[in-house]
Amino acid sequence: MPELFMRMMKEEWRMHSTIFGQVSFALFPVMIFGISFMGSFLLPHLRAALPVGDLALAVHAMFLVLGAMVGGFGLMGNEMMNRRFGQVSLLAYSARSLPLSGRFIFANFVVKDTVYYFFLWVLPFGAGYLAAAPFTGASFPSALLLLFTLALAFMAGLCTVFLLSSLYVRSRVACGVLVIVGGLLLIASFLSTGPALVLLFPPYLIYSGFSWGILLSSCAILAVLFALSILLFCAEETGTTSVHGDLLTPLESRFAWLPQSPLVAKDLIDLYRSGIGIGQALFSFAIPLVVIWFFLSLAGSFLPSHGVIVFFAMITGVIASTMYTWVTEFDSFGPYACLPVSVSTLIQSKMTTCVLLQVLPAAFIVSVAVLSGNSEILIPALALCISFSFYASGVMAYLCGLSPSVLVYDVKVLSTYLVLDGVVFALFSAVALANPLFAISSVLLFFPGWWFVKAAMRRWDAVDPGGY
Amino acid sequence: MEREPLSCSVHCHEPCRGQTGWRMSAVLEVSGLSKVYGDVTALDRVFLSVEEGALFGLLGPNGSGKTTMIKVLTGQIRPTSGSARVLGLDSAHEGLRIRERVGIIPEQESPPSFLTSMEYLEFVGKVRKIPDIRERADEWFDYLEFGDKKNVLCKDLSRGTRQKLMFAQAFIHEPALALIDEPLINFDPIMQDLVKEYLTDYVKSGKTIFLSTHILEVAEEICSSFAILHRGTLLHSGPVAELTEKGAHLPEFFLSLVRKGTHA
Repeated sequence: MPELFMRMMKEEWRMHSTIFGQVSFALFPVMIFGISFMGSFLLPHLRAALPVGDLALAVHAMFLVLGAMVGGFGLMGNEMMNRRFGQVSLLAYSARSLPLSGRFIFANFVVKDTVYYFFLWVLPFGAGYLAAAPFTGASFPSALLLLFTLALAFMAGLCTVFLLSSLYVRSRVACGVLVIVGGLLLIASFLSTGPALVLLFPPYLIYSGFSWGILLSSCAILAVLFALSILLFCAEETGTTSVHGDLLTPLESRFAWLPQSPLVAKDLIDLYRSGIGIGQALFSFAIPLVVIWFFLSLAGSFLPSHGVIVFFAMITGVIASTMYTWVTEFDSFGPYACLPVSVSTLIQSKMTTCVLLQVLPAAFIVSVAVLSGNSEILIPALALCISFSFYASGVMAYLCGLSPSVLVYDVKVLSTYLVLDGVVFALFSAVALANPLFAISSVLLFFPGWWFVKAAMRRWDAVDPGGY
Repeated sequence: MEREPLSCSVHCHEPCRGQTGWRMSAVLEVSGLSKVYGDVTALDRVFLSVEEGALFGLLGPNGSGKTTMIKVLTGQIRPTSGSARVLGLDSAHEGLRIRERVGIIPEQESPPSFLTSMEYLEFVGKVRKIPDIRERADEWFDYLEFGDKKNVLCKDLSRGTRQKLMFAQAFIHEPALALIDEPLINFDPIMQDLVKEYLTDYVKSGKTIFLSTHILEVAEEICSSFAILHRGTLLHSGPVAELTEKGAHLPEFFLSLVRKGTHA
């Protein structure tokens, strides 16, 4: 076990450092440390507006979601790497060539992911907060405890996704039933008791009021999730063939009015048949937004009456912009290299698909605005959400071309992305909080967004497409 | 229409640098072409010309630069220096127009995972604007004998069937020139025979094939002319007939030249 584990760790490091360059990737945890360290100095000011507990809850929620996303990425890694880099072989998928059981390899894979991403994300974040503690007035034990509980939250997300994936391979129906029942229970609890339910999240409970009992039960829950995911694990069935009717022609005809309609139709089929569409819509869109809505609901008393929906619309827009990664994640230039298709054509088609997918955030915002009794600011909220999404997608296309999910770990790219989005976010937060009707002015973001898309097409056409 | 042999008629034991020998009917002209990746020189000042109607074999060991050559010729990547003209178009600036007019089989077969075989050929037809794509696709399914895989997702196809699909997409628009990288590697002997027959018939109709391979016996059997690339350098180019007329065989000739190049 130690040897396989160490080799998997090396493999993960080499994979990342090969893609981003050793220095650039090594700087990634340093950047997380820097963000956390500097962000800690804002805490005394934020405390004036938001209770410490809400902030802590938000950070725990963020690491829970991060764990889920890392788990999802890890499970899809081989397919993604194959699509992007041609035939690759990862140790996690070597059960057929090594005298080791699939379950044993999977157990190593889970431990490796936990440890590796703890050092990549959790430790730098916690260490940044810890390093700032003497200056911000936070107590040293509390900072240490935060590091520990964030690790628990991260592992909870990771183990939950691994368990769901193990279950999914065994029985899609069982997995679906579990997700639906869990979701319904959450909604029912929320409707009956309000957002206070979230406060029962064990890692947060430990942080807000340490007790050995809760700590032990948290660890026990994690151990059960981990053990179940290993026990239920079985190698995905191979040798089966999926037979499907023709979807391309009807879809292409339906969207014939769009530029690059065959490429758009192919993207939609990819999303539908690969399960990425449903998986991403759940893990990268709906769940994070539900968590954020819970958090914003708690902050409602500290914001103007329309503040929650305005912030939520902007955050939804930013999260919706990650749909650009959905449509590029499993697609490199490779399959198109033998066709008269340029990189700029692909970027244009991916952006077109993203625009179509904006139906999802739009429906989400409409539902939230109506359910929360904010129908009167529905139009400004929609404008904020869709404009932000388009702008942030344009920025992403410009910075990353067809590889946003890969280049996210490039410090320079991520920093530029955060600055370009952050400035606009801050500007329109102020505008929309002053008067929600002013938020309609966010449609102006379509101009810089469009400029970034055009610039992306020029920029990425001028370089040799890599990774195929 | 009688085809002229390739420009180089000398069995060069030294790299044929400086040869140009352009002909008016050349469909593919490479002049001083170099491609450098970081500190690796994948192609080093290569000169080459391929006549219309040739079945041209680009031969070389693994890592010799064959795939890079096809990528440069089809405008997928840009040369570091030198130039390549394909069907009269500059590959560095008119890659898209070249890819409209040629057929390509890439080194690794890569049909999109989540399209079925039929959908993939339809997709190719829609991108290439082929009006009767379904009929043509059906003909290819029949010809390469994989009609039973029409509705199977590409990710579930065997390597051989994927290769059939990539072969079909390269020729479905009947291009004037096809650049094909190791097209036989995943085929069984029966399918190899069928494909070899197709390729020889194809050039008889006046079209041209640029075949990259390291299966020397196949090259000797079907190619009208060939070039040997080793470590990015062109060691030789000329007609196959010149070798056979002298009683020599391509595999032995190739091995002696490459070994000499390796030890040089």
